[in-house]
Amino acid sequence: MDYGRRDLADALAAQYVAGTLRGPARRRFEALLAAHPGLRQAVAAWRARLMPLTGAVEPQAPPASAWQGIEQRLWPTAAPSTAAEAAHTAPWWRTLAFWRGASAFATVAAIGLGVLLATPQPQAPPVIVVLQAADGAPAGTGGGSFVASFSADGRSLVTRPVQPVALQVDRALELWAVPPQGAPRSLGLVSASGLTVIQRDKLPQALLDQRNTAALAVSVEPPGGSPTGAPTGPVVFAGRLQL
Amino acid sequence: MRTAPEDWTQRSRELAQHLSRAALGDRQAFKQLYDATSAHLFAVLLRIQRDRAVAEDLLQEVYVSAWKAAASFDAQQSQPLTWLTHIARNKAIDSLRRAQAQPRLETVHAEHDDDDRPDLDQRMADEGPGPAELLERASDARQLAHCMQGLSAQQRQSVALAFFDGLSHAEVAEQLRQPLGTVKSWVRRALMTLKTCLERAAQRDDLIAGA
Repeated sequence: MDYGRRDLADALAAQYVAGTLRGPARRRFEALLAAHPGLRQAVAAWRARLMPLTGAVEPQAPPASAWQGIEQRLWPTAAPSTAAEAAHTAPWWRTLAFWRGASAFATVAAIGLGVLLATPQPQAPPVIVVLQAADGAPAGTGGGSFVASFSADGRSLVTRPVQPVALQVDRALELWAVPPQGAPRSLGLVSASGLTVIQRDKLPQALLDQRNTAALAVSVEPPGGSPTGAPTGPVVFAGRLQL
Repeated sequence: MRTAPEDWTQRSRELAQHLSRAALGDRQAFKQLYDATSAHLFAVLLRIQRDRAVAEDLLQEVYVSAWKAAASFDAQQSQPLTWLTHIARNKAIDSLRRAQAQPRLETVHAEHDDDDRPDLDQRMADEGPGPAELLERASDARQLAHCMQGLSAQQRQSVALAFFDGLSHAEVAEQLRQPLGTVKSWVRRALMTLKTCLERAAQRDDLIAGA
């Protein structure tokens, strides 16, 4: 690309980001973007230059209907009827059989590494919870285990399957904190094959307190996670929290 | 200038985290991203698209696009809020193209019939700060402050009207009562002056950092 054309590309990128490139010219430019990495780079650089300007605009909270509209557009099937169905049958976390089965397997280790008892440190010790395959796990999820560890600095929770979990393509794994009483709280989706890092400030307060969390569990859910806010699929891994 | 992910603010890191989890299909993370950014994006949309109902519709489109494109977000290319704001501005500008009518420009001209230099702040006296004032405020941001000072008053006005309110060259020309060609060259020169100035500042930072 000669200098003339490079300058032209940069000037167009500038006008595009500033918003003064309009009409058919704007559409043509957008069509070109897909095929030209150099042009994309120029646009990215101009974005970085000009977007801080928008920081001066006073934020305006959109009405609640905006989010509802987004949900409806993205996940039209996530109707409230699913919640009603889910509530119909006794949830897994309340059935005794589940916990009997789970604890038969459960070698739940909560390991505080280091000499933490001896030396008083403000920092929380890393806590590792091993989640064993649960009884109700369908075939294909393997008999392996799942590891959840809270980092030493207390800022993140990391999960990892010991072996990759075979899932149907349209299924996802969701991690739950199960309190001694009440419904589990979602901690988000976790990867079935590798590491997932969940920042601590995104986790419920005092998660690492047995009064709040009796166990961690992983369930199989639709791609976006449970549509109801409570686990809907079978629980494939579970482990009690012991500090 | 572009900031490497390791130099991002805590907020940027959090947004990037939400975005990457949304790319995995995590709806909760996406809701957190929405909660953290929607008021900013809605404000940006409203400056360009004054019709609140249309702006709300655009806001939904922005997040629907963001959800679908979350996997293509590239932290090396831009910060999360920059990326989202760009999507929002594009939607807003495209919506202006769809709606041909620009009645607000007519009222402006009625108010400023005898005035060669319309007062930009007065123009939006009832609707919060005008573009010129926003430019002043944005000048808190990093090097942009310094570099904005390097522009002439007309250059600043032209860029502010185009950037904040989504006016086209022709609309800016009409607003400032200047020939189209003049306005075009003001905007073009203003952008190039900014670029040169920001790049020089970045080089200076590099020198200091390397010293």
